[in-house]
Amino acid sequence: MKTGMIKATGPFERVVHWCVALSCLFLCITGMGMMYHSLNFVGTLVGGMENLKNLHNYGGIFFAVSLLFAIIIWWKEAGIFSFPEDLQWILAAGGYLWKVEKVPEVGKYNPGQKMFFWAVSLFGTIMVVSGLIIWFPTGYAMATLRLMYVLHALGFVVIFAFFFVHLYLVTIGAPGSAPAMFTGWVTRGWVKTQHPKWLKEMEKDGTLIVYGQKKSAEKKV
Amino acid sequence: MKQELIKLIDLSRCTACRGCQIACKQWNELPARQTENFGSYQNPPDLQWNTWTMIRFQEREDQNGILQWLFRKDGCMHCSDAACIKVCPTEALYHTEFGSVSMHEHKCIGCKACIPACPFGVPKFNAATNKISKCDLCYTRLQANQLPACVLSCPTGALTIGEKDVMLKKAYKRVKELGGDASVYGDKFLDGTHVVYVLPEKPEVYDNLPTDPKMPLTIIVWKDVLKPAGLLVAGSVVAGAFLHYITHGPKTPEEETTSEGGKLS
Amino acid sequence: MTNHYIDLKNSDCILIMGSNAAENHPIAFKWILRAKDRGAKIIHVDPRFTRTSARCDYHVPLRSGTDIAFLGGMIKHIIDNNLIQEEYVKYYTNASQIVSPDYDFQDGLFSGYDAEKRKYAKNTWTTEKDAAGIPVRDYTLEDPRCVYQMLKKHYKRYTLEKVSSITGVSKNNLLKVYNEYGATGAKDKAGTECYALGWTHHTVGSQNIRAMAIIQLLLGNMGICGGGINALRGEPNVQGSTDHAILYNILPGYLKMPSGPVDTLSKYLEKYTSKSTDPQSANWYQNYPKYAVSFLKAVWGAKATPENEFGYSWLPKLDDGKDYSIMHATDQMYAGKMKGFFAYGSNIAVSSPNSTKVRKGLEKLKWMVNVNIFDNETSSFWKGPGVDPKTIDTEVFLLPAAASMEKEGSQSNSGRWVQWRYKAANPPGDALSDGDITMRIMDTVRELYQKEGGAFPEQILNLKWDYKDALGNFDVAKVSKMINGHYNQDLTVITDPIKGTTEENKKGETVPSFAKLTADGSTSCGNWLMSGSFDQKGVNKMMNRGKEDPTGLGLYPDWSFAWPLNRRIIYNRASCDLEGKPYNPKMKLLEWTGEKWVGDVPDGPWPPMANTEKGKYPFIMKADGVGSLFGPGMAEGPFPEHYEPLEGPLATNPMSAQRINPAVKVFTSDLDKVANADQKFPYVCTTYSCTEHWCSGFTRWQPWLLEAMPEAYVEISDKLATQLGLKNGERVRVSSVRGEVTCVAMVTKRMTPFEVEGKVVHQVGMPCNYGWLNPVKNDDDSVNHLTPAVGCPNTFCPEYKAFMVNVSKA
Repeated sequence: MKTGMIKATGPFERVVHWCVALSCLFLCITGMGMMYHSLNFVGTLVGGMENLKNLHNYGGIFFAVSLLFAIIIWWKEAGIFSFPEDLQWILAAGGYLWKVEKVPEVGKYNPGQKMFFWAVSLFGTIMVVSGLIIWFPTGYAMATLRLMYVLHALGFVVIFAFFFVHLYLVTIGAPGSAPAMFTGWVTRGWVKTQHPKWLKEMEKDGTLIVYGQKKSAEKKV
Repeated sequence: MKQELIKLIDLSRCTACRGCQIACKQWNELPARQTENFGSYQNPPDLQWNTWTMIRFQEREDQNGILQWLFRKDGCMHCSDAACIKVCPTEALYHTEFGSVSMHEHKCIGCKACIPACPFGVPKFNAATNKISKCDLCYTRLQANQLPACVLSCPTGALTIGEKDVMLKKAYKRVKELGGDASVYGDKFLDGTHVVYVLPEKPEVYDNLPTDPKMPLTIIVWKDVLKPAGLLVAGSVVAGAFLHYITHGPKTPEEETTSEGGKLS
Repeated sequence: MTNHYIDLKNSDCILIMGSNAAENHPIAFKWILRAKDRGAKIIHVDPRFTRTSARCDYHVPLRSGTDIAFLGGMIKHIIDNNLIQEEYVKYYTNASQIVSPDYDFQDGLFSGYDAEKRKYAKNTWTTEKDAAGIPVRDYTLEDPRCVYQMLKKHYKRYTLEKVSSITGVSKNNLLKVYNEYGATGAKDKAGTECYALGWTHHTVGSQNIRAMAIIQLLLGNMGICGGGINALRGEPNVQGSTDHAILYNILPGYLKMPSGPVDTLSKYLEKYTSKSTDPQSANWYQNYPKYAVSFLKAVWGAKATPENEFGYSWLPKLDDGKDYSIMHATDQMYAGKMKGFFAYGSNIAVSSPNSTKVRKGLEKLKWMVNVNIFDNETSSFWKGPGVDPKTIDTEVFLLPAAASMEKEGSQSNSGRWVQWRYKAANPPGDALSDGDITMRIMDTVRELYQKEGGAFPEQILNLKWDYKDALGNFDVAKVSKMINGHYNQDLTVITDPIKGTTEENKKGETVPSFAKLTADGSTSCGNWLMSGSFDQKGVNKMMNRGKEDPTGLGLYPDWSFAWPLNRRIIYNRASCDLEGKPYNPKMKLLEWTGEKWVGDVPDGPWPPMANTEKGKYPFIMKADGVGSLFGPGMAEGPFPEHYEPLEGPLATNPMSAQRINPAVKVFTSDLDKVANADQKFPYVCTTYSCTEHWCSGFTRWQPWLLEAMPEAYVEISDKLATQLGLKNGERVRVSSVRGEVTCVAMVTKRMTPFEVEGKVVHQVGMPCNYGWLNPVKNDDDSVNHLTPAVGCPNTFCPEYKAFMVNVSKA
């Protein structure tokens, strides 16, 4: 089945991805259970609001650790924009929103994904820091504490929004993406469409791994 | 809703006997903690989970150089627009039929959100119970038609409680009698508090008393903007995605089955 | 109190001096604030700016121990500016009487002084009487030897400059108070004075109050609504315990304690029965024999007969010229002359002056019984700081007592209202009421006497001792009834000899009034003042809780019982002019209708003085019927005179050659050291109780109160702190020549230095509520390690309020 597919992610990457994703989702749900009185029933499901709070707090720690790994893993690939093509891509909105003659070719991560990485890293960090301060408020000035609640809520708004963007794109928005985070193998067509430059780079560097083939170990000079 | 009540604290009649501070502890079964004299009659040094009300002592010289010893009974103001209630995730804090702010203790999850929310620094956290602790204006006593413990204990009439309109009238009458810098504190902000002071001096003179207490802006941003925005933005994203899907359609990969690498561009 | 708490609201000017009313009498302060609401001026004169000062119109700081100088200046000001209530002074005081030519006052000493005994012979302190024994009077008040002129002469020396220099009060402040208070000399104005331990705790304590009494008489403020001299007495039932003779020198109802040479009842009655031939004097104390004999009947019951002088010989007698105050007792202990000691609800190791000496004295006792609701420093003295328990032979018994709310009985407030109080809870564990403890001890003593005999068996075995209920417990109702008094036999009294009407009284009925008591043994009465607390049917009026106030003056005649005879303001006939019309028509305390008095219970039924035939003077307890501007009853002179405290900052008294009260007795043991005007102890110190703690501090066991006021402190002015390099909250050592204690420095603007005789004198203050037993933090101990054992010669109230200390970093 997988024959001919291209390896997009390693198992560790996928584990980290899912740790971040699921804990983030979990935090969204538990957090919303506390933020919206109408969603207080979420607390009932876990045996009370106090449990919900604890799950949210400790879940946050899991998220924080996952996030740390995610940043370490993807920092180089997704954290750095490369110019001018990323800028051009952004100006063209990646061709997602209006008709664009030619969308600049992007590498492993397109600027949209890089922005998502940034959003998650930055707001994730904000969530972790503000969350921890809210959890352990002793010693902080009232103004600081009040600000933390705003940041925490703001982070939620941003992350929650990006979450849906992400969800759309990896499902029906860009079919063929999801396997990258399930099996790690994607179709060449998908790579060519989504990340043509990356494909070229891999081919050039000989790092392309195709299922069923021997690794093209030799670097093409 | 029953009649809204106001507890009036007429500081011009307070002798700082601290009967209220002790009576509160007695009725509400709040334990004492070890304190030390830090060079003041004031003790405990601040409101604590086990001290819902206390007298603040403050020495001051007025503009004529005349020594004043100001006493202020500090404690929950029982705001109408109560920040603590607004931020409470579980509706543990709530308005009673008297307008006072009470707490369903079993609902409190110890999240401490109300601590920084309160403009008066009232709610305190009890680590032993993992719950917030604050004055409830002796809710059960009010229900039984009894005076709050502090009011009952006050020997000089500095503390009285009654119907909102009557007490406000009384407060303004007293301020008129006192003249000078005296003012009513409490009816003009946070939609009116259910604890109102007659302050013999200007509000800014008193330690730890906000001159213009407001619902913190951060809470307005948080609860009135970001909270609905969270759903609104997410909803928009979902709607936008749907719109995108039906207008642009998915970005489907080109059909390519070859396992050869592509050409260099 | 001559008046009562609620009456404070009727005043136009309240001078709070010698009291910290807001802190120590919070409920009294409610009525003071009511007066303020009515527009009264409230003045606080005190060394410290306290919670009282904070609520007064103004505070005037005064150096501890200089009240008489301050008040003497006020007397001079009132006379010089003619602020007196003239009619009142003329007819209701002894101003018009002529002082004996033998009376003299020179350089701080009155005539009749015996320097060796430090005692006055008072025989020259008299006023002249005519052949009929009626006082000679000059109603023009111009005779140079009339009391008024003598008073004027005496206080001539109390000039503003002099008073200001002694007291450290600025002249402006003096004038402010003098004018404000002097204005109450108007007929329709009332001024009152609230004092407490701030006046009594001095070697001139009684004279502080006397000086104010003079002012009140000059201004016509005695016997009127919103006037009087009002001792704010403490929660420990001080009023009740003095009424019932807690002091060694009185019997219940302020009857005199007999001394050795007064060895027969007839001598006793002769000595203490007041005599007057003035037909206009009611001379109430002519009834002394009725009260004394009824008292003896109450003590010995049927054993008291006319033949044995109603058991008078069984009464204990004081050795002539000897005093038995707690200071004398501890002096005797320290001298090893006392074997055993009952500390009933007391904690002398903390509360008595010169604690070091007191505790050394306790070590010399064979046994001590402490009856208390908690362990205290007295019962635990043997393991106190610096004491090796192995060296102590004293056997200590700590008997657990019931707290006041755990027993039924009466409680008297300062306004003489005796209110019945019900038991709220049972005492814990083995604790018993004081009554039960006393009863059990005495039962056992009597049994032992019956079996084994002993010294003075009559006293013990003849005692009327039937105050138990059916279960054998102490029956407080029985005791109360005996205190009120009852008829010992059926008694027919002729009420109107002309109409021939009589009144039938049955044996065993309670006596409804002390006017019904007799000197022939037909009545018994434990305390004549309390007669009338039950009606004749035995109904306890102390339980009355009526809330009607027919006069609108806050008298509440149906609330509890006020002695005497439910009179709410004593000497109330002085509130009316000679015709019986109230001086202040807005406050009709009493008014003569032409037939009778209406209003409060009058001080006697007689018509006002305009009726020269039947009218009586208003001050019925005085032999001459008038208020005493000239008061010969005092130990140190008929006019109060300023003397310095035993320990003060001055080497000499600026007023005279007598530095300290000449009648004061100073103890001479090796631990009774004194350091006057000593550079080593340069600061004046005063002591006091704080709101949060009770006396010697059993409230220290109450966590909430300890939380509110956790440890001992010394209040120091910011100026002195700067001088000493002390920071607020820092730990310091306070020392006097007698001892030292540690505590926290409370640096405050509320303490101010005084300018005294051209020098800056700093004053500090410390609470007296702490001791070593708890809290144990920092080894803080009783401030009374610092205080000298010396007291007022009239009452032996110790001088806790003025002595000299040093303060240094701990």
